[in-house]
Amino acid sequence: MTGDILINSLSGLLIITSVMLIGSRKAKSSAMLYSVQSFVLVLTFLAIAKSVDAEQLYHWSITAFITKVIALPALFYYAFSKMSDPKADKPVIHFGWIIPIAGVITMASFMAVESVQLPLVEHLKPALAVSLGHFFLGLLCIVSQRNILKQLFGYCLMENGSSLSLALLANKAPGLVEVGITTDAVFAVLFMVILARQIYFKLNTLDVNQLTSLKG
Amino acid sequence: MLETIALLTIISPFIGAILTVLVPKEAAKWVCQLFAGIASFGAIALAVTFLSGPEPSVTYSLLSIGQIEIFGLMVDKVSTLITVAVVVLGFLVSIYSLGYMTEGNREHPHTGQPRYYAFLLVFIGAMAGLVLSSTILGQLFFFEVTGACSWSLIGYYQSPKSLKSALKALLVTHVASIGLFIAAAYLFKETGTFAVTAIAGLDDSTKTIVFLGVLFAAWGKSAQLPLHVWLPDAMSAPTPVSAYLHAASMVKVGVYIFARAIMSGGEIPEIVGVIGVVGATITLIYGFVMYLPQKDLKRLLAYSTITQLSYIFLALSLSIFGSQMALDGAITYIFNHAFAKSLFFLVAGALSYSVGTRMLPQLKGIIKTSPLLAVGFCVAALAITGVPPFSGFFSKFPLFAAGFELSATHSWLMPIMILALIESVASFGWILYWFGKSVVGEPSDVVAKAKPIPTSMKFVLVILIIMSLCSSFIAANWLV
Amino acid sequence: MSPTEILLLLMVVPFVAAMISFLALRGGEATRKFAIGCHSLSMVLIMILSLTVAGSVFIDGPIQALDNWLYIDGLSALFLSVLGVVSFLTGMYSIGYIGHEYKHGELSGTKVALYYGLFNLFIATMLLAVSSNNVIMMWVAIEATTICSVFLVGLYGQRSSLEAAWKYIIICSVGLAFGLFGSILTYSNAAAVFADPANAIFWTDIHQNAKALDPTLVHISFIFVLIGFGTKVGLFPMHAWLPDAHSEAPSPVSALLSAGLLNCALLVILRYYIITVKAIGPDFPETLMLVFGFMSVAVSAFFIITQHDIKRKLAYHSVENMGLITLAIALGPIGVIAGLMHVINHSLAKTLMFCGAGNILLKYGTRDITVVKGILKVAPMTGILVAIGALALGGVPPFSMFVSEFLMVTAAISEDMPFFTLALLSLLAIVLGGLAHMVACCVMGDKPDEIEKGELSFMTIAPMVVIVGLIVIMGTFIPNQVLHGIDRAALVLLDSDEPTVINILNLPGIVQPTEMLATKPTLAQK
Repeated sequence: MTGDILINSLSGLLIITSVMLIGSRKAKSSAMLYSVQSFVLVLTFLAIAKSVDAEQLYHWSITAFITKVIALPALFYYAFSKMSDPKADKPVIHFGWIIPIAGVITMASFMAVESVQLPLVEHLKPALAVSLGHFFLGLLCIVSQRNILKQLFGYCLMENGSSLSLALLANKAPGLVEVGITTDAVFAVLFMVILARQIYFKLNTLDVNQLTSLKG
Repeated sequence: MLETIALLTIISPFIGAILTVLVPKEAAKWVCQLFAGIASFGAIALAVTFLSGPEPSVTYSLLSIGQIEIFGLMVDKVSTLITVAVVVLGFLVSIYSLGYMTEGNREHPHTGQPRYYAFLLVFIGAMAGLVLSSTILGQLFFFEVTGACSWSLIGYYQSPKSLKSALKALLVTHVASIGLFIAAAYLFKETGTFAVTAIAGLDDSTKTIVFLGVLFAAWGKSAQLPLHVWLPDAMSAPTPVSAYLHAASMVKVGVYIFARAIMSGGEIPEIVGVIGVVGATITLIYGFVMYLPQKDLKRLLAYSTITQLSYIFLALSLSIFGSQMALDGAITYIFNHAFAKSLFFLVAGALSYSVGTRMLPQLKGIIKTSPLLAVGFCVAALAITGVPPFSGFFSKFPLFAAGFELSATHSWLMPIMILALIESVASFGWILYWFGKSVVGEPSDVVAKAKPIPTSMKFVLVILIIMSLCSSFIAANWLV
Repeated sequence: MSPTEILLLLMVVPFVAAMISFLALRGGEATRKFAIGCHSLSMVLIMILSLTVAGSVFIDGPIQALDNWLYIDGLSALFLSVLGVVSFLTGMYSIGYIGHEYKHGELSGTKVALYYGLFNLFIATMLLAVSSNNVIMMWVAIEATTICSVFLVGLYGQRSSLEAAWKYIIICSVGLAFGLFGSILTYSNAAAVFADPANAIFWTDIHQNAKALDPTLVHISFIFVLIGFGTKVGLFPMHAWLPDAHSEAPSPVSALLSAGLLNCALLVILRYYIITVKAIGPDFPETLMLVFGFMSVAVSAFFIITQHDIKRKLAYHSVENMGLITLAIALGPIGVIAGLMHVINHSLAKTLMFCGAGNILLKYGTRDITVVKGILKVAPMTGILVAIGALALGGVPPFSMFVSEFLMVTAAISEDMPFFTLALLSLLAIVLGGLAHMVACCVMGDKPDEIEKGELSFMTIAPMVVIVGLIVIMGTFIPNQVLHGIDRAALVLLDSDEPTVINILNLPGIVQPTEMLATKPTLAQK
């Protein structure tokens, strides 16, 4: 039972860290926050692994730690130190709005998972709701930012949500699957950063509002 | 045997069209003549072989999946008769084009490109295919092919105006084809086949839907209100194309598919007939009113075509009330009108060629400078308006006879028939008025300077003048 | 060789060709020539091998490889053969197109090598997506297609192409994150109820035990899958990346995106659709497919007529056709046949048109229909082929899209949806108008003075001529092998054990035509 409580409260912490991530103004501090959030995620994995005794999940926690807590934040940190566009740092949606919207998203996710009948997640419904909610928080992050690099965090949040639900629902899965997903996501982010670099050096901007030559 | 000839008639123009594009430019028009000739030979051979054979109607299934008939041929008296009209007229028009599409043309000095002849051939093939098709799907297939062809032929001169008219023709007839799409789908849903003959087996409500679908499609191709808008604008096509598309073939697609459905439809709900009659009457009046302001001979002919097609629709709709005479009249009408109206258009084309204009007010005293054109004008006018002994009379007469006969049981038909009769007389008067102004009298300046027209055009005009006299006899003997 | 070995070989071929091209990145002219040679060989092999695999699946039934990780049944065999043919055609066209760009200095030697490498890698990922049986690997493969093709889209490195590439990768990755969530939900759902969770990752196993899945999660995961992979298919309102990416990519890539990639993503949706129908019945998934499909058709129809950019018009046309296929699948057995046939027909016709647009772009240097005039006079072959392609896309017979669109109408009427059918047909009429208008603007008219007369190279024309031949054949006399293939695919999609799909069409008894003639003495018989 304590394991369930731990898992549920850790996932609650995930929501809080992601809202902070969305709200943070400074690019480099958001890279840090992402690292923190991933660390919470890894802790959640460990808690789940311990409570259901899933060995594969331990392995996965290690992969996740290397990629999400260290590699990706480092990549972001490096990218932000090379490229900056102060004009693009002002968010589209004010932080005052982000909090109530995040609240609505969380509530809706709780309601959506209410009717799930699987015995596996009977006591973990808050965590399942968080994994679903993370998804829309990621989306919120993308629409609320003007800086294309910060939009990438949205994608990472969504990816974290998927990882959490995978860990919750299929913690006995072969490790290859999880490694595959994580690697693919890392590659995706890497290529996005490369593309953002090309855009930055070609167009001298990171502001999504400047990318408007294609319309209709 | 019949099957082979019928297929030859349909396929040879398509092969010709491909060759026309591939051979050197100078040879293109001759390839076209050759294949149009082969197709005409095929059409006539088909008719003769069929008439000498014992069966009243033969159906060949060519393409089917399981038991679903996708495409087949239907050879009977009506389809052979109309095939001869559409294919032979196509051949005549391509001969005429040899003379018309040259640098010597005063209105449009321009040598016919290979694609002109290629599309003409495709059109001939598609018309033969449509007429001989035994399934609604086949009809729809060729219906759309003719639509695409008409688009490229109407827009042939590539002026912005003609391209616009071409697009209009394509879109209006494509919207009309929605009716045929729906009809085919309903037929398939209820019977599991696309054969036109299956219409007879439908229940009343589905049959009504199928018929209304066909009627809507027919209105589009045959330029009836409210889908008539494309036809007057389509006059920016080269005149031989107008003669073929807007007199003989494309506009006849509509009435033909409607006739085909009626012939195969068994007992048809009367509501279809009522809608057909009402639609025809409205278009008839509209078409006549639109005669009056026209100064361009071709536009006048376009509106005349619209009203003539209304007569055919009227006859076909009357046949739904059970009159065989009206149906025979309608088929004869399709055949006669094809020749007479082609003649009229080609006379208009010959005038543009030799005089350089087809605006009626500038044409005076044609008879002095080119008697053949004057005779052609005269014969065409009389045939169209239905003066005996010209062909138009023999198709209009059964229509009125059937109409007045039916009004004994359907009294509401009486005022409509009277209205049609008045229109008939009035349009005769109007065409006679322009005949008097432009044919007889002293030649105007432009007409006096007319240049002679080439032999190929003369040849075609003579044949059509003869046909305008005898086409109804051919049709009458055929359908007996 | 056994079909399984051929399948593995098929996976390896483009990968090897890609590696060779990447090795040629720093090499000189000669190594590059060698890489292009390998590319041609790879394209030919892909077509032959994929058709061989598909043919053997159609005749002998499904095959699997690599411990069940790869699986080809009738449905994926159909998509595999389309992908094989489209890869070959666009691969050959690439040689003409990229060769022209290299000769005129638009692309450097390095970029040419990069192009062929990525092109082959892109095909390799698509092949993997089509043949994957592992639901997570399906997602990985689709995500990999995005990553491989994004630099192809941005190949020219101009402002607009970089912007298009950015939109492409962001929208598709975010969309696919939804797809991932849907995949994970399905997988976890299966893992939770299966005796052996290790098998829960295979589509074949989930499909077999679909009835045991938790219905709520199936609902949620289908929505996520439809939104996620629907982004990649280009369904409205997730289509925003598609017009940009298609218009900015080099034309052969546009063709491959439109005729290859969209189908692959659609196949994934269909895989989940089959599971969902089996688990919770057809009502819910069919309604969703119908709504998304119809909205895509409706919205794109209006974009098609308002665009002035040829390739954007074609891109919206892809949205429209993917919508048509999606909604057709939801229209019962006839609709399924229509949809699958449309997959083939759309892919062929769209490849033709993008190749045509590529030639126009090379010749005129612009895609704006208000500038491009008189192609018929500048390059007659291209002009004719583009006109044919536009009519074919508009659904005019004798070209093949007419057949599948007609079947869709029949399917909709059979499902008793007359008003839906009317709306659909009206939209199709609008689309035809847009395409015909484009031809009237570009192909017809007078030749601009500054444009030089003459065709481009043989390799830019030959693939188009081949396609015209194919779409005429598919529009008139469809070969029996193709019909058989569609039949097999439809059986998989309909989840039926019947020997042929004709048996589930519920056709009314065929009335003999002779009987009907007898009901009324017709004119002909008199």
